[in-house]
Amino acid sequence: MIKKSDFKAALILIISVIFLLSLQAASKAEAKQTGEVKDNPGKKIYEERCLVCHGRKGDGKGPASLMKRSEKSGRILEIKPRDFTLGAFRFRSTPTGCLPTEADLILLVDKGIPRSFMPPHKDQLTKEQKKAVVEYVKTFSTRWKEEEPCKPVVVRKPKWVGSKSSVEKGKKLYKDMKCWECHGDTGKGDGPKADLQKDDWGNKILAFDFTTGATKMGSDPENVYTAYTTGLDGAGMPSYEDSMSEADRWHLVSYTLKLMGKVK
Amino acid sequence: MRNRFFTWILFLSGGVLLIFTLLAAYRELTPEWEKYQAQYKEQIIKAAKDDAAKKKARQLKQEVQQLYLGALNRIDRCTSCHIGVENPRMASAKLPLKQHSGAYLKNHPPDKFGCSVCHYGQGRAVNKKEAHGLGHETHWDFPVMPLKYIQSSCTQCHDYETLTAKGYDTIAKGAKLFTEKGCRGCHKLDGIGGALGKKLDIVGSQPIAYFPMRHVEGEKTTYNWHKQHFTNPRALVPESEMKISVKPEETDLLATYVLSLRSGEMPKAYRKIKGRMAVGKPDEGEALYKMFCIACHTDGKESYYDEIFNHTIPSIKNPAFLKAAEDKYLKKVLEEGRAGTQMTSWKLAAGGLGESEINKLITYITKERPSSKPERFNVARFKPDEKRGGELYKVRCALCHGKKGEGELGVNLRNPVVQGADPEFLAITIRDGRAETPMPPFGKKGLSLTEQDLADLVSFVRTLSKTK
Repeated sequence: MIKKSDFKAALILIISVIFLLSLQAASKAEAKQTGEVKDNPGKKIYEERCLVCHGRKGDGKGPASLMKRSEKSGRILEIKPRDFTLGAFRFRSTPTGCLPTEADLILLVDKGIPRSFMPPHKDQLTKEQKKAVVEYVKTFSTRWKEEEPCKPVVVRKPKWVGSKSSVEKGKKLYKDMKCWECHGDTGKGDGPKADLQKDDWGNKILAFDFTTGATKMGSDPENVYTAYTTGLDGAGMPSYEDSMSEADRWHLVSYTLKLMGKVK
Repeated sequence: MRNRFFTWILFLSGGVLLIFTLLAAYRELTPEWEKYQAQYKEQIIKAAKDDAAKKKARQLKQEVQQLYLGALNRIDRCTSCHIGVENPRMASAKLPLKQHSGAYLKNHPPDKFGCSVCHYGQGRAVNKKEAHGLGHETHWDFPVMPLKYIQSSCTQCHDYETLTAKGYDTIAKGAKLFTEKGCRGCHKLDGIGGALGKKLDIVGSQPIAYFPMRHVEGEKTTYNWHKQHFTNPRALVPESEMKISVKPEETDLLATYVLSLRSGEMPKAYRKIKGRMAVGKPDEGEALYKMFCIACHTDGKESYYDEIFNHTIPSIKNPAFLKAAEDKYLKKVLEEGRAGTQMTSWKLAAGGLGESEINKLITYITKERPSSKPERFNVARFKPDEKRGGELYKVRCALCHGKKGEGELGVNLRNPVVQGADPEFLAITIRDGRAETPMPPFGKKGLSLTEQDLADLVSFVRTLSKTK
């Protein structure tokens, strides 16, 4: 037999449980909402650290946007921060025309870009913070909603890279593939077409001077090979994935290393 | 059998020895100069107009010629081969018999001046290799000078104006380039100039061992060193910080000039000038700027990061900078330099500039200073929180100015000039940034820091010199 008071107590219990559950759900929903609007950690980091160069809209027009750099040879480089709105990135592990992977972008945030003014943030941000800021950068271009990043290109360095015969073959390829038109006969970036190059944003760019030996994305043979395979999208450097065989690209890497003074 | 073998060996080696002895004797008996003198004799006999002249020419003795130059402490035997230097009939002959070009010898008679005082080389030697002193194994510090640099010898006695008036303007052009390319921004000459580079007072008399010759292409002479060093300093001295931008043809002019900077003086009787030609200090702002500042600051309108110095070189004529910086501040920078950077101290005891010259420089630099003053920023109004400033600095400033303010892309904030600057000047700079430089405005109009934030930052920046 059920007592009336027992029933009453049970009813109160059920109602209070329902009330508490709904309250919790409501507060959760509220938390989710504010999370999107107010506490976007990526946006906060971007505005504190990135906006100064890359601009509020990610168009590369921040208050400190143009910087000049004088190379040892006296050549002046004009360095502009990346405009994220086109979604074109130079330094990727993916084939030309593709978006970079998340790991590519996090690597850039980590290492910075030496010789441009992108500083390394390895010790400055936590893993989550880096992820968040990369996510925020992705909001600047619609490409990120429309496309998926491709698979990274495979880099397998053959043993003979840097050998004398490979350097010789690379030297011939350098001539045949007309690398010298921009990079110059001696690799100083002073070829006949070096002055005519513009990037996708219409800014003048200078061909890389190999003799400085300081490639932005590292000067290991693998890095150079990646650049030749993926191309530097947005800049004048095309991809040679289709026009040269894998072996030829590695030969060219050998010759490049010689120009950079890394092999004899 | 055995004995015979050794006999043959002895016989053969004896023969070889004999041949070499004869060769050596032949070489001693027929010196180079004798061959040239024979040619010379033949040519003047041929060119003789009448019998008397012919007879005279036939009587010409063949012997080592020697010019004894007591006053110059030199003995020159160059005319043993260059025997036709004074003979007008040898005007179209081939070297070494050719007559000296131009009319130099009229005013510089060989028996008074000799040859090596202008041309260098080893005057006492009587064969070409040793006399010209070329080739490493001759061990001669001053081999015969290439003619393109020869005017470097003229200034031992003559001034630039006289030389230029007579058409010998290479040396004056070189001197002009030296003053206009800002060489003295780093190099001291006559006690005036910066402290980054080597002193140049006697660089033209320095021996080969003074220069790192390892990477010099071609003959390892000081002449080639200078030319190649002006073309690309870091090809010869990899760690060099020298900044130079000259056209290829200008390297010869500059080399001529530095080769003229010699130790020692010509005897008074030879000199047309009192002492050495001094560059002196110009009396006018623009010329002073060119002589001392332009090599690093270029036209002063744009700042740029320099891969040689690994610093940003500030634009000192940038209106945004001049608007905030007062003359007093500029004067302090010029007088004290900026410790921790390549900027030298220019006061009289260091760089050699007097107060009036520094003032003239400031007047020139500030010529385009805007008349408007920046909006005041009363820093004293705020109670600054150093710790909070430090947090802000870490996020906002450290990436360019360095964790300890040591500077790389941004300027060095630890040095006494920044540390001793007026807090309001620092606050205004952070608030408004520097237009035309990478320093962005952090105030309301830029990156939206509050005035309290700025005051906190300034107070933190002023503690940077204490951090280790």
